[in-house]
Amino acid sequence: MAAPILQVKDLKTQFFTDDGVVKAVNGVSFDLYPGETLGIVGESGCGKSVTALSILRLVQEPGRIVNGQILFKGDDLLELSNEEMRELRGKDIAMIFQDPLSSLNPVLKVGFQVEEAMFAHDRVNKKNALSRAIELLKQVRIPAASSRVKDYPHQFSGGMRQRVMIAMGLANKPSILIADEPTTALDVTVQAQILELLRDLNRDTRTAIIMITHNMGVVAGLCQRVIVMYAGQIVEEGPVHQIFHNPQHPYTWSLLRSIPRLDSDRHDRLLSIEGLPPDLISPPRGCKFNPRCQFRIDRCLREDPPLLDVGPDQRAACWVTMDRALKHKEPAVGG
Amino acid sequence: MALAPGVANPQEYVGDTVAREQTSLWADAWRRLRRNRLALVATVFIGFVLLVAIISVFWTPYPIYRESVAPTYEGLSSQHLLGADQAGRDILSRLAVGAQISLEVGVGTQILVVAFGILVGLTAGYYRGILDGVISTVINIFYGIPSLLVALLMVLLLGRGLDKIIIAIAATSWMDMARLVRGQGLALREREFVEAARAGGAKASRIIFRHILPNALGPIIVQATFGVPAAILFEAFLSFLGLGVQPPAPSWGSMAADGFQALRLAPHIVLAPALALSLTLMAFNFLGDGLRDALDPRQKR
Repeated sequence: MAAPILQVKDLKTQFFTDDGVVKAVNGVSFDLYPGETLGIVGESGCGKSVTALSILRLVQEPGRIVNGQILFKGDDLLELSNEEMRELRGKDIAMIFQDPLSSLNPVLKVGFQVEEAMFAHDRVNKKNALSRAIELLKQVRIPAASSRVKDYPHQFSGGMRQRVMIAMGLANKPSILIADEPTTALDVTVQAQILELLRDLNRDTRTAIIMITHNMGVVAGLCQRVIVMYAGQIVEEGPVHQIFHNPQHPYTWSLLRSIPRLDSDRHDRLLSIEGLPPDLISPPRGCKFNPRCQFRIDRCLREDPPLLDVGPDQRAACWVTMDRALKHKEPAVGG
Repeated sequence: MALAPGVANPQEYVGDTVAREQTSLWADAWRRLRRNRLALVATVFIGFVLLVAIISVFWTPYPIYRESVAPTYEGLSSQHLLGADQAGRDILSRLAVGAQISLEVGVGTQILVVAFGILVGLTAGYYRGILDGVISTVINIFYGIPSLLVALLMVLLLGRGLDKIIIAIAATSWMDMARLVRGQGLALREREFVEAARAGGAKASRIIFRHILPNALGPIIVQATFGVPAAILFEAFLSFLGLGVQPPAPSWGSMAADGFQALRLAPHIVLAPALALSLTLMAFNFLGDGLRDALDPRQKR
């Protein structure tokens, strides 16, 4: 495999609030390879979005990146000047957000906003900007693109708005596109269209995609590799088919069990994960998932498990792992 | 093939949305403003005042500075529609030129206030921190100083030209605009489209002027519209006190002051500029109200 285009090493991002230090991202490391689609999944508040914002250094006060390296093509983004970082945003690494309506400026025409994305990096002159904007809108399959550039965001449907956002993201041909829950605010059928679009764009442009989502179905539909996050840490990572068929961390296992399946017995109860994600100001000792884990053992309460190899390219941070847990059948509740 | 009743003609679809008339937010606002009778009348009246002011640049019924074009204190007549003042000058002619002065003061002041308010307010609102602290403190200090005192001092120091009076009034009335724009900046900088622009690598100046400012324009326009009559009134007041534009220039304020000594004998000398002033102030206030309603997105009908 080629060298990674992006390497995140021991990233720690913390929010210094009046109530204490929120350890939103707590030692996250991963690699992203050129042209790859990587999913980052987890519940709300597990640090997915903050990880993404940290990569672009867009974490707002009182948040600060306190530790780690973010190597893009070998350069540490945390060492760049603000101006160098600004120049890189949108040009090398672009990002699209969850709510396409509020992410578009309500008083500016859609075409103008796509042009703005290009002007941010002085790639084009005014004359070519419009035709390039139309071309981009066509690329994301917006019908009648040449007339729709004159429309305002409120004249577009949710799915079309997200297409516009994607067009803006692709305007400067970035090598990485970070998509933060891009389909969450959309209808299911529209979700599928957007995913298909992202898949095709990934194939055609070889833009690497980091897909942040809480939806395992989205991961299955788009990603090659997946990272599962819990309480600011990576609990499991590996190729998608492996994670789906053979999850090793109880959290991943529970996440997958909480998806309704048509082919399962209707009488099977859907499994919800009891409890809430932990308070990130004072997280539990040991494994952060232990209060909600039905397989926990004594060691989970004392020591935080490191990410260990559990299969080819697959790693999990668990003292028990599902292979062993299911062999003994009896969940060690109360440990 | 004929379409079933109630089924939209597919030709009307563009993509997945029904084709709509292209309406910009401004066209929308204009449509709503037109529906407001009072605001419409006010707009027409302001247009009339503007027309009078423009005509008076080139032509007035009588030369405005020449005395004794009519008997002193003459009442309304067919020769002099609004009569003559204590020096026998034609009031209608002077009133028309007074409209020039009022509009220049009103609009000129607000151009300065808007420019300065946007610059200062957006800087404070976008960058926050120390810059905001300094700017907010200066705003509060200016609020604390009596504006009449500042204006009087500035007129005394700078002189009594129209441009100096405009600067003096702007210097005492920019705080409301700056504070409003700062608030807009603070609110808008947190909006997702600003974050999206930042994620796209836009420069701070681009974010401020291309993304934040257009969204703050509505409230700025409304505030400026209310600022115009306030400035006109302030100038009239200064002129009434004899500290405004240099006589014999016919400011409505100084015209009213001229007639004040002879209020019993010839009330029309005071009434004419007073009425012109009141109607103009009212018109701008009604227009401001109308604009506020028209530009308020929550009132979409």
